[in-house]
Amino acid sequence: MDQLVRELEEKRKRVLAMGGEKAVEKQHAKGKLTARERIELLLDEGSFVEIDRFVEHRCTEFGMEKVYLPADGVVTGYGTINGRLVFVYSQDFTVRGGSLGEMHAKKMCKVMDMAMEVGAPIIGINDSGGARIQEGVDSLSGYGNIFFRNTRASGVVPQISIVVGPTAGGAVYSPALMDFIFMVKKIGIMHITGPQVIKAVTGEEVSSEELGGAMAHNAKSGVAHFAEDSEEDCYQDVRKLLSYLPQNNLEDPPTIQSSDDPNRMDMELRGIVPTHPNKPYDVRDVIKHIVDDGDFFEVHKYYAQNMVVGFARMDGMSIGIIANQPKHLAGVLDIDCSDKASRFIRICDAYNIPILSIVDVPGYLPGVAQEHGGIIRHGAKMLYAYAEATVPKITLILRKAYGGAYLGMCSKDMGADVVLAWPQAEIAVMGAEGAANIIFRKEIAAAEDSEKVRQEKIAEYRERFANPYVAAKRGFVDKVILPEESRPMIISALHMLETKRDKLPKKKHGIIPA
Amino acid sequence: MKKFRVTVNGKTYEVEVEEIGGASGSAKVTASEPVSVSEPKVSALEPKKVEEKVSPAAPISEAPKSAAGGTVVSAPMPGKVLSVSVKEGDRVKEGDLLLILEAMKMENEILAPISGTIKQVSVSAGGTVNTGDLMVVIG
Repeated sequence: MDQLVRELEEKRKRVLAMGGEKAVEKQHAKGKLTARERIELLLDEGSFVEIDRFVEHRCTEFGMEKVYLPADGVVTGYGTINGRLVFVYSQDFTVRGGSLGEMHAKKMCKVMDMAMEVGAPIIGINDSGGARIQEGVDSLSGYGNIFFRNTRASGVVPQISIVVGPTAGGAVYSPALMDFIFMVKKIGIMHITGPQVIKAVTGEEVSSEELGGAMAHNAKSGVAHFAEDSEEDCYQDVRKLLSYLPQNNLEDPPTIQSSDDPNRMDMELRGIVPTHPNKPYDVRDVIKHIVDDGDFFEVHKYYAQNMVVGFARMDGMSIGIIANQPKHLAGVLDIDCSDKASRFIRICDAYNIPILSIVDVPGYLPGVAQEHGGIIRHGAKMLYAYAEATVPKITLILRKAYGGAYLGMCSKDMGADVVLAWPQAEIAVMGAEGAANIIFRKEIAAAEDSEKVRQEKIAEYRERFANPYVAAKRGFVDKVILPEESRPMIISALHMLETKRDKLPKKKHGIIPA
Repeated sequence: MKKFRVTVNGKTYEVEVEEIGGASGSAKVTASEPVSVSEPKVSALEPKKVEEKVSPAAPISEAPKSAAGGTVVSAPMPGKVLSVSVKEGDRVKEGDLLLILEAMKMENEILAPISGTIKQVSVSAGGTVNTGDLMVVIG
């Protein structure tokens, strides 16, 4: 028996040494943690259970039969985050650059299958040079198997991808198929073709950080949802994100005991939104005064900033917020923010998280670039996502809600269960100036002092239509409320809607405009 | 004595010319320091490079670079410039107000994306801009 114990201990030691002392040192010198250190930071202390520790590759080409790769370059298993089960894989760059071979991929697939079976989130930590070239098509097949599972798991269990190293070529598509991508600045890189290939083909010179670093994908491409300063911050944020999500699509998100009074009336709300429709403000100030403890967890913060999306709690319940941001691009709807919002709406719907839409929108961004870029099909995604969503939908209109953009921000007709409006809300087909110019065109043109008449007509239109009461008369607005009543009213609506049942017609899946 | 303003390669010199003899025509030229210098580096003729060096850890700046290496603030939307709060030579901090652009029925505050010195202001109050038009360069 002693012999057997020693043998197992030897084997364990060999695997835990990862790529060897030197390789680990090198990893640390790059400012990166090792695959195992990462898991320890991410999961509850001591909760990690590793599986497939002794898996080895089967490659016999190019002298690979003599090469031993500890754990085949990826650490897999399960553990808990805030006491809740999650499955994890963490690629080990110290072992052959974390390259992905047949068995490496099989290990990843095994934990993904287990996560699907028991209904728990999957978290992937990516730090890999790419395919293990010696393994040829077996390596490619590995990627294919992962993409297939990512897609099948989509909307069933939350999938979170953490990019803390290179992720290049086909490897980027596994994160892209998952729900959220976290990137750590300076160490996380994602691209299909790298700087050298780009230089050779198009002559463009670009650094890899500028091409595929955290800020490139958070601010420009919109591929990633979080940019983190350090790995430590990153794992903390992943833990926080999971606190808003259920374990799978059949569960409701966790509700916590909130110490923030649900009936709290926040008088400061009266001063945040300027009554004059031309003055900008930061919609996040409104959000923070409404939600529990002012705690708003923003998603996709640097991308399409004319729309703000994120998670918060109200009376302890998890909610998703979609809000126009008047401070950026006047809060218009455009291609990028439509993509951002529609994806977020679908994430909320998939995981049974009620949606709060906060509206102050002047319309769609005019311009040839927008039209030729396909604002029609992109903007349609928002309508689609809202109408398709069966979770409770609450809409709060702060100020402007004009035309198609009013519908695009989840009006009553698009399926909002409860629509609330502040007294300064202007729900109309368009702004007063534009409308008066069209409706009273002849009268303005015929008048002696046409500018004076124009101003009179604008005032007249504003008086009659730029208010919430026309819509309230028709029942498009359920309740006109004072700003400070927002929190109690939204919470009351959320409780009223807790047992909401809404079913889509039976179908394989819809065909979302793309 | 006559004063002339001479511009050479974008640098403007004030030049004094004095006629001495009736027929000799020789002139004494005193050139003072350039009075107004439009920064010679801000030249659209300089070839443009995407990035100076390729380094994986290079810090990235979110704003596009101008030909001269300054940061260009361009119009995010078509609109009318209501007011300009900075002039060339001013020092600004990241987040400082540069100008107000009225677009989409909103008085949009255009803020400095980085700290630096204003190298160029290409718009004035009352003017209109289109998407992508250069408004301010910060160096």
